[in-house]
Amino acid sequence: MNIEHFLNNTRPSWMEATEDYTDIVMSTRIRLARNINKIRFPISFSEEEAKQVEEMVLHTLLENEQKDVNFSYFPMKELTVLQRQILVEKHLISPALAKREKTAAVFLTADESTSVMVNEEDHIRIQYLAPGLQLHEAYAKADEIDRLLEKQCTYAYDEQLGYLTSCPTNVGTGLRASVMLHLPALTMTKKMNLLIQTMARLGMVVRGIYGEGSENLGNVYQISNQITLGKSEQDILDDLQNVVEKVIQRERHARKELFSKVSIALEDRLFRSLGTLMYARVLTSEEAASCLSNVRLAVDLGIIEDIALGQLNECLLLIQPGFLQQYAHTTLQAPERDIYRAKLLQEKLTTHNRNELIRGKGEDLYDV
Amino acid sequence: MICEHCKQRHATVTVTQLQNSNKIERHYCEVCASKFHPMQLDLQEEPVSIHQLMSDWLGLPLKAKHQETQKRKKTMDCPVCGMSYRQFLKVGKFGCASCYDAFREQLPPMLQRLQADVKHTGKTTVDGQQQVRYQQQIEKLREQLLQAIEEERFEDAATLRDEVKTIEKKLHVGGVDTP
Repeated sequence: MNIEHFLNNTRPSWMEATEDYTDIVMSTRIRLARNINKIRFPISFSEEEAKQVEEMVLHTLLENEQKDVNFSYFPMKELTVLQRQILVEKHLISPALAKREKTAAVFLTADESTSVMVNEEDHIRIQYLAPGLQLHEAYAKADEIDRLLEKQCTYAYDEQLGYLTSCPTNVGTGLRASVMLHLPALTMTKKMNLLIQTMARLGMVVRGIYGEGSENLGNVYQISNQITLGKSEQDILDDLQNVVEKVIQRERHARKELFSKVSIALEDRLFRSLGTLMYARVLTSEEAASCLSNVRLAVDLGIIEDIALGQLNECLLLIQPGFLQQYAHTTLQAPERDIYRAKLLQEKLTTHNRNELIRGKGEDLYDV
Repeated sequence: MICEHCKQRHATVTVTQLQNSNKIERHYCEVCASKFHPMQLDLQEEPVSIHQLMSDWLGLPLKAKHQETQKRKKTMDCPVCGMSYRQFLKVGKFGCASCYDAFREQLPPMLQRLQADVKHTGKTTVDGQQQVRYQQQIEKLREQLLQAIEEERFEDAATLRDEVKTIEKKLHVGGVDTP
């Protein structure tokens, strides 16, 4: 599989809206951090050691006997800055990996659910992305890859401390499980600060989807476990599942309250956002993300009926700088991007509407 | 800062408006802000805060912070990658797996702050190294066991035999997940 596949596909499998809770949960991510025994961690290793790690993973993943797992291999050095950026925007690699100067690589499956990063902060980072809320299923998939790698690579492991990682915040299970949630109503009713504080006390972290710093672009938050040592994988997943379900309940409750108490103000706001997306000529990524969030909420509430969630997910990917430039086939400066973004969104949302008119309301993707 | 509307209370709410792509920031107090902003209605049935709900449900209060004043001991640098504990504190990352051995004494207080416990309870690895270590332990114990029998220290021998058994058990279930 060549890199073009991964750069052009704007509907990866983990973005399909099929599972429960798709009105709120966007995706589930599992990440396992592993290191190879007797080789220094990437922070202090030599170029030779870096190559050695890559060689080992390459050998194990590409020559495995399990026919159902097929990986494509991309060394970072062979990817352009824009290509790397797009992979970051698709959450297939981390920003840290995109910036590596020493030998580093990523292995991807064609459906983009699994990625194995080599020589990021740790030697090996296994990631599995799934649509909806599927913590245990996603962990099982990541665990499969872990067992596959373990056959060939001896991991750095300590009886007391479990899997040894470069950062002590990952030591133990090396497991970071995250759930991406769209929480517009809790944000509008200003409940997020309290929620974030509460999460911290429960050993969970809340972050914006585009990493730290971009706090709540588009009202999408990522809740993940903070603790990796002293709890088993099952407990970590169960606790996160419980917390996420509570948050979903709160969000649903807040949506209902908003809808019943200030329905006209809410509808006005949501339709204005749709108007902005369809007719604006200049759109920053912040504004586009916030409008897309409102339209998504309107679709969830059944206020807007002729737009599918999948369409909105795709837009959410496309409004990012790297994707825009890939789509435009040229480098764009920030002001040009804002113009192009507006144009692209308009195209995406209007052609869809036209199709809908012809096809009628046959799609099952509506979540009313 | 004082509320732009009532000009009495402290402004705690910042409202950002977009007008012709210009950002205009206004500062209001909670009371005035709610008048302007239709979304900020107070949800009824709210006395049970999320916080309350969460802690009721998990039943765990804020984890007691172990603020142990770590005595500044002179520590060795890691023999493999040469990292010092001071360097580690600066970057927050270990240089290699041996750092965990080199700084083992410093680990518990730090891990207690970051983690649930200092003992791994999750998945274990089918680690060749580990197996070798267990086998060495067993051999050693067996030697001691023979010696104990020769010297007719039967109570000691019994304890040693039990120890061998526990390690043997570990050796055989080594690759299996402990639930």
